[in-house]
Amino acid sequence: MKVIGDRWKKALWWAGSLTAVGLIAFGIVYLVKFERGQEFVDEFLNWKIFKETFWYVFTGLRITVTVALVSEVFILVAGLLVALVRISRVKLFRGLAAVYIDVIRGIPLLLQIFIVYYGVAILGLKMNIFWAGVLALTICYAAYEAEIFRAGIESIHKGQMEAARSLGMGYFKAMRFVILPQAIRNVIPPLSNEFIALLKDTALLSVIGLAEITRRSSEMFGKKFNITPFVVGAVCYLIVTIPLMRLVQYVNKRLSVSD
Amino acid sequence: MNNDYMVEIVELHKSFGHHEVLKGVNLRVKPSEVLVVVGPSGSGKSTMLRCINGLESASGGHIFIEGMDITDHRSDINVIRQKVGIVFQSFNLFPHLTTLRNITLAPVKVRNMESEEAEEKALRLLDRVGLREKAGAYPAHLSGGQQQRVAIARALAMDPDLMLFDEVTSALDPELVSEVLDVMKDLAREGMTMLVVTHEMGFAKEVGDRLIFMDDGLIVEEGPPEDIFTNPKSPRAIDFFSKILSHL
Ligand SMILES: Nc1ncnc2c1ncn2[C@@H]1O[C@H](COP(=O)(O)OP(=O)(O)OP(=O)(O)O)[C@@H](O)[C@H]1O
Ligand SMILES: [Mg+2]
Repeated sequence: MKVIGDRWKKALWWAGSLTAVGLIAFGIVYLVKFERGQEFVDEFLNWKIFKETFWYVFTGLRITVTVALVSEVFILVAGLLVALVRISRVKLFRGLAAVYIDVIRGIPLLLQIFIVYYGVAILGLKMNIFWAGVLALTICYAAYEAEIFRAGIESIHKGQMEAARSLGMGYFKAMRFVILPQAIRNVIPPLSNEFIALLKDTALLSVIGLAEITRRSSEMFGKKFNITPFVVGAVCYLIVTIPLMRLVQYVNKRLSVSD
Repeated sequence: MNNDYMVEIVELHKSFGHHEVLKGVNLRVKPSEVLVVVGPSGSGKSTMLRCINGLESASGGHIFIEGMDITDHRSDINVIRQKVGIVFQSFNLFPHLTTLRNITLAPVKVRNMESEEAEEKALRLLDRVGLREKAGAYPAHLSGGQQQRVAIARALAMDPDLMLFDEVTSALDPELVSEVLDVMKDLAREGMTMLVVTHEMGFAKEVGDRLIFMDDGLIVEEGPPEDIFTNPKSPRAIDFFSKILSHL
């Protein structure tokens, strides 16, 4: 991208670095000068509490990752289907998909989780917390990913569909063998970012009692009345999210090189 | 309706919204005929071609391909399209597939042909357009002229009875034009029925059996290419050919 010149980039980098250094220096001076260092460590980075709570919280990582992965499978399928309906030639279908997308994207995920969780219960359906969570995440994220799929499909030149159709392929065959394979490449970067967001949003399922990382951290906080369990939780997320972010960067680079 | 014609167009109308682009086109093309279509920009040449294979749906009138009315909603457009190959100005090769797979895709997925059989056929077609050695290459690595020849081979892989060409050399560098025209000349010699929209008057004279001049959504002149070049009758055609021929 050549939106900002190199000189400006350099200036921004310096401004950012100086700010960071300033903040860190301020923090150190504050802690040392007012002799709050020990207190800070006791509250936030208490080694004893870290050891006591780590395994309990860390066990939640498996649930966090499982619920995110299972949801992602449903989200990809649902998102693609909604996108296809969104661009269908039938006006009514198109409209319905548009309404779904707008409504879902206009409501906080937390509220959707409540609606699904209690809604399922009140309707008398038997669904455990895990699956209720998967359902809520799917309903929500499918709306976002549908828009990503749609943009990906619409970015393919219309000559591609015409060429496929004029060879006698039906609409769905043309989609499947000509349009989607090209569109998928375009949507891999935004979809992987969505997955990282999803992984973090599973934290909201703690409100319905899913024993994932955040839920377990806050249980331990309630017991110990110390911030350290939350720091443990943060570490658990970072173990997954940072490698994922790096992987996404790497894949994006590869994709743009082979273009 | 008459089965003796490859294409029969009767009072074809096409509008985009309030804009009437085709205003009652009548046309008959016999098997093995090479029909050249010329006319000023916006006269409806592409639209007519696109109606013939159903990329645009007619607003009125009828189009018969080998006696089958494609404007009848009961006809299976996907079956008719297999008889009608089209080649576009912008190639429209599938960029995610190799040359070979570009050609085999439709035979395999539409005709359910075995892959080996489709590949053999694709290689024969590539031989025919002089590109066998590019079978494994992706479209992005081919020149415009090569891409267009692959596009022709791709259309031929469905064994069409009729080929439509819409300004297939207009996007090419001048030195690449002849390699594509040569392939088309071979096709014409082998007896393919062809509708060719082109500004290549040399090609029109050499292989065109008949030429139609379109203006403002109507066919205004029709006859042997040579005659129309040298002796156009309508003012629009006189103006058009004087510009094009002086340009050559
Ligand atoms: N999909 C469309 N929607 C609206 N108008 C269209 C559409 N396609 C074509 N037209 C209009 O129809 C008219 C005829 O277009 P067409 O492409 O058939 O002309 P043409 O004779 O092929 O011209 P050219 O030599 O520039 O290719 C033009 O005025 C064009 O703007
Ligand atoms: Mg045109």
